[in-house]
Amino acid sequence: MIFYLCIDDTDNLDSIGTGTIAEQIREKIVTSGYGPCSLVTRHQLFIHEDIPYTSHNSSMCFHGEASDDAMSTIIAMASQHLDSVAAEGSDPGLCVLQFDESNDYDELIEFGKNAKKKVLTKEDALQCAQKNQLHLSEHGGTGQGIIGALAGVGLRIFGCDGEVKGALKNIEIKKSYAVSELKKLPELVKVLDLADKEPLEDATMVNMSNRTKTVLFENEYVLFVNKDDKGAYQTIPKAEIRRLGGDVFYV
Amino acid sequence: MSDKNKLPADDWQGGHEIALSCSGFAQDVEEEWLAEEVISCYNCRYRRFIGAGIQCVKSLFPK
Repeated sequence: MIFYLCIDDTDNLDSIGTGTIAEQIREKIVTSGYGPCSLVTRHQLFIHEDIPYTSHNSSMCFHGEASDDAMSTIIAMASQHLDSVAAEGSDPGLCVLQFDESNDYDELIEFGKNAKKKVLTKEDALQCAQKNQLHLSEHGGTGQGIIGALAGVGLRIFGCDGEVKGALKNIEIKKSYAVSELKKLPELVKVLDLADKEPLEDATMVNMSNRTKTVLFENEYVLFVNKDDKGAYQTIPKAEIRRLGGDVFYV
Repeated sequence: MSDKNKLPADDWQGGHEIALSCSGFAQDVEEEWLAEEVISCYNCRYRRFIGAGIQCVKSLFPK
């Protein structure tokens, strides 16, 4: 089976980040003999004064493969880990979904999209969860994190949202790389020209002119680049990437 | 930061300069960085995103 797992609201000002906790859960799942699992993606959610958050409002999601009878074990492993590492004062939520290709996830995807542009409630999340037969659990505090956790799974299934956690951290900024070199990185499958979404050829050079991130676009890890006045390809600053990944999903 | 501890969405130079001289600066986790310069108000755990930029809330968390 394929499963999706997302967590939200696990941190406070002094703790490790939610993304690191998601990676720890993924590691536990893999060392228990399940997997492979995908990289973790960060899904930016709505920022509003009515939504409590630490220094950002994002959830962290990955998917993986496991035997058909593994769901309860995966949920237990993730729950135990969350209970042991979630920070004091946080409101953690966990969502795990067993993916069924024959199911219609439109409502779940819509929930994820809405979580990027409006204030949603725990009741909204519980209602959506019930209709989609998935695991959704609170792990302390107000449990408000279930909203982001559910939204993250919806957005990951949608496939056009989220920055890849840890992406490009070993790439030298201000240096040029051939597309073929970049494609050797696990967090990058394609380099796309943002203007027409066409893939660049392997021999094309890309100047890593700033701190940027690969993103999930049409269910693939993608690096968006722009052509400058001289026809050279440049990476796009992270702030711009995040703006593009707002509620328009890189379109 | 001035104007009630707020900065617009893209004052990268200002955010860098303020953070360099700020004793309260605390680097956020890497996946939450926005600015190119690591030491920047935009990469600080004490920034909150508001409608049109960021606000420093360090004063709400005295040591």
